Amino acid sequence: MILPIELLIALLVWGTLVGVDLVSLPQMMIARPLVAGTVAGAILGDIPTGLKLGVVFELLQYDILPVGAVRYPEYGPATVAAVATAHASAGVLGLGLGALVGLVTGLFGGVTINVLRRVNSRIVHAAAAQLESGDPSALVRLHVGGLLRDALRAAVVTVFGLVLAWLARPLLGGVLSVRGAVLLAVAIVATALAAGAAGTLRLVGRGPNLAWFAAGLAGGIAATIWLR
Amino acid sequence: MATVKGALARALLRLFAVQGSYNYERMLGVGVGVAEEPLLRDLGDGKYRPAVARGARFFNAHPYLIGLAVGAAARAEHDGAPPDQIERLREALCGPLGSLGDRLVWAGWLPFLSGLTMAAIALSAGWIAVGVFLIVYNIGHVALRWWALKAGWTHGTRVSVALHHPVLQKAGALLGPAMAFAVGAALPLTAAYLSAPFDSWARLALAIVAALSFLAFRLRGDRINGLRLSLALAAVALVVGLIWQ
Repeated sequence: MILPIELLIALLVWGTLVGVDLVSLPQMMIARPLVAGTVAGAILGDIPTGLKLGVVFELLQYDILPVGAVRYPEYGPATVAAVATAHASAGVLGLGLGALVGLVTGLFGGVTINVLRRVNSRIVHAAAAQLESGDPSALVRLHVGGLLRDALRAAVVTVFGLVLAWLARPLLGGVLSVRGAVLLAVAIVATALAAGAAGTLRLVGRGPNLAWFAAGLAGGIAATIWLR
Repeated sequence: MATVKGALARALLRLFAVQGSYNYERMLGVGVGVAEEPLLRDLGDGKYRPAVARGARFFNAHPYLIGLAVGAAARAEHDGAPPDQIERLREALCGPLGSLGDRLVWAGWLPFLSGLTMAAIALSAGWIAVGVFLIVYNIGHVALRWWALKAGWTHGTRVSVALHHPVLQKAGALLGPAMAFAVGAALPLTAAYLSAPFDSWARLALAIVAALSFLAFRLRGDRINGLRLSLALAAVALVVGLIWQ
């Protein structure tokens, strides 16, 4: 993947914004893979690839319910990196390689979130006396520091993903046969669909909503067959 | 009145960043303190700093509904409620605000709109579907944050009244079935959309791997998650792909 520097900067800025949106500011869901992927695709002039990988990672996102202090992968910057990878490789090869780069970036992003929270904990612990004194400037300073550290973290994750995207094509694109590329894409898309279905069923539970899920599924299958 | 409105507006803006210093010690406490601070500025000298300190203590709840706790605690400080009552109020709000927000937003509004958007993309709506998702989602998001802050400020220590608001109850009852239906409908459409570039053998492989993965999630969901299984299967596919030239 060799992209012009202005596109790389735009992807880095977008990935950072997406990473910050996930938890810190303002949680308007640009971190959602559907949005992150589509805008990354628009930056690269390849919206269809952005939409496709956005849908793959959106399905994987259903596996996550961000309650309490649960740990989870970060699929926003991951989707940006995935789209950057896929844009450089045509068709199914792009889908498989892009999704693979996105998964590794998502894993790394999840680790950095946990590290950041631990760092924040130490800083907040050290500032306990100032906080208990009710000093508003110390409070705001601590909070803004946390925001800035999250922005730095999101930028690092995006750079990590873009470096992987740059390496993926020469390392894997050349040695992977067409069949291999299809297998890779099949494995990740299939798991994403399964994760989406299983995650939704966890939310739906065994109560009356299960009937609504079944009705929706039947309607979706009917629409799919009809559209063919 | 204008001062209160200004303080509420400042608190609302700060609430958008309430999770900015998320940590395992006070969870969202620091962010809650930062959001509450503008509402405490007109307290007397002896009351302001202790109130700010109380506001920054441990707190955890759904980020969109934290405004209820911020508004209620700030109002209680203005009404001269004893410090231990304000502490108890904050503690009592963590659980209900968390579970209500999770049910309404993470398990309702968000997957409902996300499911509709995926279905629309599969039906060739393109980026417009994503734009509509972003706008509609955030109308609900901003409205919920604003309502929560205002309700907290209005009710103070009697904020539990706001949690029984009929609109919240109705939304909770409607969003569950709507989400289930929307995502249920989106799944087959999305499967067809994503498998469109594959040959027939690859589609068959996709169906088999998806079914086996689904079973794995249902049977061993405590150990397996989407990321781990995707990476494991991708590694297997890479090895097979490199051998099977």
